[in-house]
Amino acid sequence: MSQDNKKVTVETTGHVWDDDLQELNNPLPRWWIWGFYITFTFALVYWLFYPAWPIGHTYTKGVSGLNNVTYVATKVDGTQETKTTHWNMRSKLMVEMNELKAEQKPFFDKVASKSFEDVSKDPELMQFVNSAGKTLFSDNCAPCHQAGGQGKIKFAPNLTDDHWQYGGTYENIETTIIAGRNGMMPAFKAILSDAELTQVSQYVLSLSGEPHNAAAAKLGDAIFHGDKAGCYACHGADAKGNIAMGSANLTDKIWLWPDVIGAKTPEAKLTEVKTLIYGGMNKGVMPVWSTRLKPEQIKLLTVYVHDSLGGGK
Amino acid sequence: MTTTSVTNTEQYNYDVIRKFAIMTLVWGVVGMLVGVYIASELAFPVLNFDIPYITFGRLRPVHTGAVIFGFGGSALFATSYYIVQRTCQARLFSSGLASFTFWGWQSIIVLAALGDVMGYTQGREYAEMEWPIDLLIEVVWVAYLVLFVGTLMKRKQPHIYVANWFFVAFILATALLHTFNNLAVPVSLFSMKSYSLFAGAQDAMTQWWYGHNAVGFFLTAAFLGMMYYFVPKQAGRPVYSYRLSVLHFWAIIFLYMWAGAHHLHWTAIPDWTSTLAATFSIMLLLPSWGGMVNGILTLSGAWDKMRTDPVIRFLIVALSFYGMSTFEGPVMSLKDVNALSHYTDWTIGHVHSGALGWVAMVTFGSFYHMVPKLWNTKMFSNRLINIHFWLATIGILLYITAMWISGIMQGLMWRAFDDFGNLQYAFIESVAAAHNLYIMRAIGGLFFLSGMVLMCYNMYKTIKSGTTEQA
Repeated sequence: MSQDNKKVTVETTGHVWDDDLQELNNPLPRWWIWGFYITFTFALVYWLFYPAWPIGHTYTKGVSGLNNVTYVATKVDGTQETKTTHWNMRSKLMVEMNELKAEQKPFFDKVASKSFEDVSKDPELMQFVNSAGKTLFSDNCAPCHQAGGQGKIKFAPNLTDDHWQYGGTYENIETTIIAGRNGMMPAFKAILSDAELTQVSQYVLSLSGEPHNAAAAKLGDAIFHGDKAGCYACHGADAKGNIAMGSANLTDKIWLWPDVIGAKTPEAKLTEVKTLIYGGMNKGVMPVWSTRLKPEQIKLLTVYVHDSLGGGK
Repeated sequence: MTTTSVTNTEQYNYDVIRKFAIMTLVWGVVGMLVGVYIASELAFPVLNFDIPYITFGRLRPVHTGAVIFGFGGSALFATSYYIVQRTCQARLFSSGLASFTFWGWQSIIVLAALGDVMGYTQGREYAEMEWPIDLLIEVVWVAYLVLFVGTLMKRKQPHIYVANWFFVAFILATALLHTFNNLAVPVSLFSMKSYSLFAGAQDAMTQWWYGHNAVGFFLTAAFLGMMYYFVPKQAGRPVYSYRLSVLHFWAIIFLYMWAGAHHLHWTAIPDWTSTLAATFSIMLLLPSWGGMVNGILTLSGAWDKMRTDPVIRFLIVALSFYGMSTFEGPVMSLKDVNALSHYTDWTIGHVHSGALGWVAMVTFGSFYHMVPKLWNTKMFSNRLINIHFWLATIGILLYITAMWISGIMQGLMWRAFDDFGNLQYAFIESVAAAHNLYIMRAIGGLFFLSGMVLMCYNMYKTIKSGTTEQA
């Protein structure tokens, strides 16, 4: 099999196909065959270190003691147990997760035990809040509220401004995250005529100093405060909204559902508002997070959203 | 009628090969165009224009279907029919069956693409086609097997040429893989929806047994068959070692089937499955390289052709990329490397170094040899072949470099923790970080596509100057 350095004339196999196709019968290159042996040896050694071959209902687990993993498992009843097993994916995961949890634990414990205000006043703890909060926020909240919490018109509120539909205290924000919110406004198409819809829309535009028809707005004022439409019942007689039910403040220049700021002409602004009053809105859904995040994570997020992103202080 | 009888008395059935050859070029352009488009969508998501039919999720299987089964599949039908006839000195035994495989296969590609765009999918990678199309594939594939083996049996030469071993292995294995991976129960006779016969981890393992061996037999063994004919033919040299070809053939056939579960490392599959898959992948390295060694050493004594013959350059560079990606694959299959590489763009880069570098390049080289012979002429322009070569090579290098960098970057970002034990990066930060590399990848794809378009022009001019009358 060995290939000498001497020049050897190699013969073909003697077969010829398609006029001129032939095959030499060169020996296997030595490096190739050795490479083959080496990979086989590698595989054999790998089998000694890891679970490898199935045998009936069980499998080989590698040489005992060669590649063991020791980890601490928490049982259902909360007690802990140290386990040593042959290498397996789950134990490896447990080791790494335990390590990282151990690093996080003292900080999370502090967050859990302190009041919102005390967390906020502790600069070292706030470093942790910002580090963990950024990733928690980006992975869970940013898909709707966007990177940095800037929000998206007609979709999810901006968290960086001073307006909080459901209140901007620590407690308000925590409640919003824990239980979620269900923002809706009824449709008025069956209640108000087209003319009335226009008038009340003109009034709404007038509240935040948008261009409007003053005469129509005056009529709209009466509708807003009248019992037929009853707008005031939710938005308040002063139209400043009510955080208890999440009704919008109509007197500031912050809009979520009608894109009044984005609409360039007075007509377009009117259409935005009128369309919303006509058809209503039931998309103001903030999901429940208490089932997905741990209480200390929610508390940390609350401080992060309140202190690091938002206004409302 | 007279035309038909004349065709039937010709030594070889070139008609079906010509048809497949032309469709190879068509699907090449279509598939690569869709590829460039979805690569651009990843860099600039606005390009999906909120139209569901052209979102990444639906166009991606259109891309993979068109390049693997349309371009690659048609190229394999064309070259395998060419090679089996010439090396057996036997005409395909049935023109009707040959024609059936052509029309059947082309309708499969079209139906599959339509199904993907409409949103019908089994959710199985490279096997997205729903059950009615799967049944059609089954029928066409059996016809292919019968035609190929039937023709082999008519051979005038007692020995079967090495290329044909690879083709038979590819046809048999693909039949096996396709059948078992697509075992499913339709919701009703008139529903496109079906449910897999397997559940959970078994389902995933069946899918990747298929997925990996589709790469192994469809994109590797079959294209090695192509290589074993066109490299010695174009070089005018005998195959380097018969012994090596026997050994690496059987080693590939035996070892490949075990490796699929390395696509499922660190998931809910048993640890031992994962280990076996990793080690069989490592043991596959040298058998895979056997094909490269045999191809490249076939050129010994004719190395000057690398400088003078752009077709040889295509074939040899294809073998080099083949060697590179069959080295990269086993490395990525190791548990610890896979922990970094899995789910990242590194995988995409790996697949494309194989798909563009090996599969497409060896097809280009083979076609520049075969097409002029099919039309009894010479290639219209050698200079254009050369330009194609450079466009393709630059395209691949841009593509895989971009994917290596973004893949390793993603892997490192996803596993980075800060001093508090918190994840250092949010997922979206890794997406933002890959943006420029996605642009680079799309540009690489554009280079490759323009080479493909140039090839079509060159082929068009060649075919126009040729004749289908056999000499």
